Amino acid sequence: MLDSIRRLLRHRKAAVGGSILLFFLVLALVGPWLVMDPSDLVGRPHQPPSSAHLFGTTGQGQDVLAQTVVGARETLAVGFAVGLLVTLVGALIGVTAGYLGRRVDDALSLTTNVFLVIPGLPLAIVLGAYLPSGPLRMVAVLTVAGWAWNARVFRAEALSLRNRDFVAAALVTGESRARIIARELLPNMASLLGSSFIGNTLYAVGAQVGLEFLGLGDVGSVTWGTNLYWASNDAALLTRSWWIFVPTGVCIALVGFSLTLLSSAIDELTNPALKAPPAVAPITPVVTAAQAEPQAPGVLLSVRELCIDYATERGPSRVVDNVSFDIAPGEVFGLAGESGSGKSTIGFGLLRLLPPAARISQGRILFNGTDVTALDANALRAFRWSQVSMVFQSAMSALNPVLTLGEQFHDTLAAHGRASRTASYARARELLAMVGLSPELVNAWPHQLSGGMRQRVGIALALALEPKLVVMDEPTTALDVVVQKELLQRMLELKERLGFAVLFITHDLPLLLAISHRVGVLQGGKLVEVDTSERLRAGARHPYTRLLLSSFPHLSADDAAEPPPELALAANAPAPVRTALRGGHQ
Amino acid sequence: MHYLLRRLGFYLIAAWASLTLNFVIPRLAPGDPASAMFARFEGRVQPEAMEALRAAFGFTDAPLHQQYFTYLKHLLTGDLGLSYAYYPSRVSEVIGTGLVWTLGLAGCAVIISFAVGCLLGVFAAWNRGGWLDSVAAPAFAFLGAFPYFWLAMLALYLFGFGLGWFPLRHAYSHDLEPGLSFTFAADVVRHAVLPAASIVVATLGGWMLGMRNTMVATLGTDTLRLAHAKGLPPRQVMFRYAARNALLPNVTSFGMALGFVLSGSLLTEIVFSYPGTGYLLILAVRNQDYPLMQGLFLVITLAVLAANFAVDMLCLWLDPRTRAHA
Repeated sequence: MLDSIRRLLRHRKAAVGGSILLFFLVLALVGPWLVMDPSDLVGRPHQPPSSAHLFGTTGQGQDVLAQTVVGARETLAVGFAVGLLVTLVGALIGVTAGYLGRRVDDALSLTTNVFLVIPGLPLAIVLGAYLPSGPLRMVAVLTVAGWAWNARVFRAEALSLRNRDFVAAALVTGESRARIIARELLPNMASLLGSSFIGNTLYAVGAQVGLEFLGLGDVGSVTWGTNLYWASNDAALLTRSWWIFVPTGVCIALVGFSLTLLSSAIDELTNPALKAPPAVAPITPVVTAAQAEPQAPGVLLSVRELCIDYATERGPSRVVDNVSFDIAPGEVFGLAGESGSGKSTIGFGLLRLLPPAARISQGRILFNGTDVTALDANALRAFRWSQVSMVFQSAMSALNPVLTLGEQFHDTLAAHGRASRTASYARARELLAMVGLSPELVNAWPHQLSGGMRQRVGIALALALEPKLVVMDEPTTALDVVVQKELLQRMLELKERLGFAVLFITHDLPLLLAISHRVGVLQGGKLVEVDTSERLRAGARHPYTRLLLSSFPHLSADDAAEPPPELALAANAPAPVRTALRGGHQ
Repeated sequence: MHYLLRRLGFYLIAAWASLTLNFVIPRLAPGDPASAMFARFEGRVQPEAMEALRAAFGFTDAPLHQQYFTYLKHLLTGDLGLSYAYYPSRVSEVIGTGLVWTLGLAGCAVIISFAVGCLLGVFAAWNRGGWLDSVAAPAFAFLGAFPYFWLAMLALYLFGFGLGWFPLRHAYSHDLEPGLSFTFAADVVRHAVLPAASIVVATLGGWMLGMRNTMVATLGTDTLRLAHAKGLPPRQVMFRYAARNALLPNVTSFGMALGFVLSGSLLTEIVFSYPGTGYLLILAVRNQDYPLMQGLFLVITLAVLAANFAVDMLCLWLDPRTRAHA
């Protein structure tokens, strides 16, 4: 808690917003004692700013400066009171609904949603018109008209917290529901309560000013809203008296802006994705003799002394460190390593698909004689997919959810200058059939397919332009074992038929040893061992490779009374897959 | 279809809830506002007509549930009672013309603002840290902090009173006969420019920021990485992949913000004496014209519910996943 407040103070937006807000709070507290009585008729009406009246006079001859300063007090007091009340009411209703669930939730959610669609201002007007005048009326009306949004937000939060361990623990110890809501749930929503309070105060100030402008406030009191009400009633525009309405409006906007800054600062602190990535410092790459050497014949891809850095708050961090390897046409090259070892970064680096914070800082990637690291934007676009394509770990999230499969094949083919829509669809059908899917799926949307089917679509898409190399980044990790094996089998068959090379990336070293010709082992961004699968199986030299190999349990016939179903399946599988199953994991 | 029916059911419940609120609020209020309301008609209405008037509003000595049914029956026939401020016009007639102006003005302004705001948000996220992102976005956010009606006052002061570019009030010049002529249409547009522009300026920043943030999140997804990997042209990645996916949550929040935006635009109408429902609202408040006030509440609420339903259908059309559950 203290730490998050300290981080908030260091945030630039929060500092600016906080200072503005603090200024107005102090103004509201002490200001009224420093200026003259705002209701006194102190001069001639509609007087422009002068030394006697710095902000001029109103249409009735009152001092505009005094009215603006004094108006801050009630406006902010009502604003914060309503902000607090709306937050509490919303949190209570939302948390109750989210935590109790079922019928209570149904009833409360329906009420919340109904209040959410009923427009606030007309409701506030009807309510306000029937209640006796005064600041309490304003608080009541604004709370009734504004609680719903908050209840919805808190309900969602309570739903997600309900399933956490500490709530379950409290239930087991037999605490009452009311106590769990008050002692376990609400304290865990501190940051949400804070940001909601800011948002609700913003709403309260705006709505209050609007209602008072309509004449629904107490027109005898001095607030920012009534100032504008009188400005409009006393014909400030007609008499060209801009000074009557401009100061109050600017104050309202400054308070509103400060609250917006604070809430956006909280958003950025809790959701780092919104924050701008740290700037990447320019580096001049040094081309070493090894990098400059032309590619040897019979080599498809040469990665030479590749280094990839991520920009962080504390300077660049090297995630791929001086990695070199070659891949021959038609070869299956495996890249193994734990998560965070840099293996996926290398895969994305080959297509220069690194996120904005990452960059290739050293080294070269040569593909079929072209220097990929030196391609300009247009050449890079032409190179991607036609030469090297990629199968993502989760086609579930990689396919575009709002386009049919056919459209996603078509835009790929069209981007590389191939084919009309009719021809694209024909090719898409052919590719779908090739990976063992019904060609009719060309008109399906991604969400209509199972995980395994989507991954097959991912492979079909990767082969659309008949690339020479396919990067497969953990293509089977998200699938269950049976589907995994089928997919691998299909992939290896296609490779035999079409002759593309594969860079297969996974943490599963035994699997790699079963399907790859050669395997590289990554540790902390460094390639610690590269060798053929046979030799690695026979005896890995590097201790880390041995550790990786031993961390996967080996199934043997003695382990189970009857063979698991995937072994039965493996009887028909080609040799490498069978090996994979023996080294497989559960 | 199932989805649409469920939404329709929800809006019917919401409509019923607002009808009931409208019935309950005057009866729960402290004091006897109903009598106060009818007291305002005294002297303008014959004593025998007074009873008819009470009956028309359902304020009789009958038990509450009977009053409620009378009230619902009147509503179903479109009878909202008599306006005090516009006596002896019927509330439904008074609101009818106002609603057309409001729907025209607020509808156009809100759609323009949403479309332009989203487009700016797309460009701001795409060129992250560019001038649109670092200068224009905060500037619009600052403008969005002003009350709508205050921006309207400033616009009227500068471009109406000051420069004289635009008319000062009303929806059309009174020396023109309303009709389907080009002169009349041009006159209506000229009158609508300032109020619409102040609504657009006040709301643009919100849409822009919302779209920018969802767009930034979308840009980091595997869907976008795959689009780049496929070598698609940048325009296509930006619109067909990023913006198209980022748009969905924004359309949903567009629906939810409609009521709020409409409230703001009602206040804008007042500044321009624009003859829409907002202007009627202030007349109702100042004259304590309860029948008109309540009628306006109902009509505005129903309009917002209908607009929300339209937004739901738009979502359905935009998102195949929702369609699947439909």
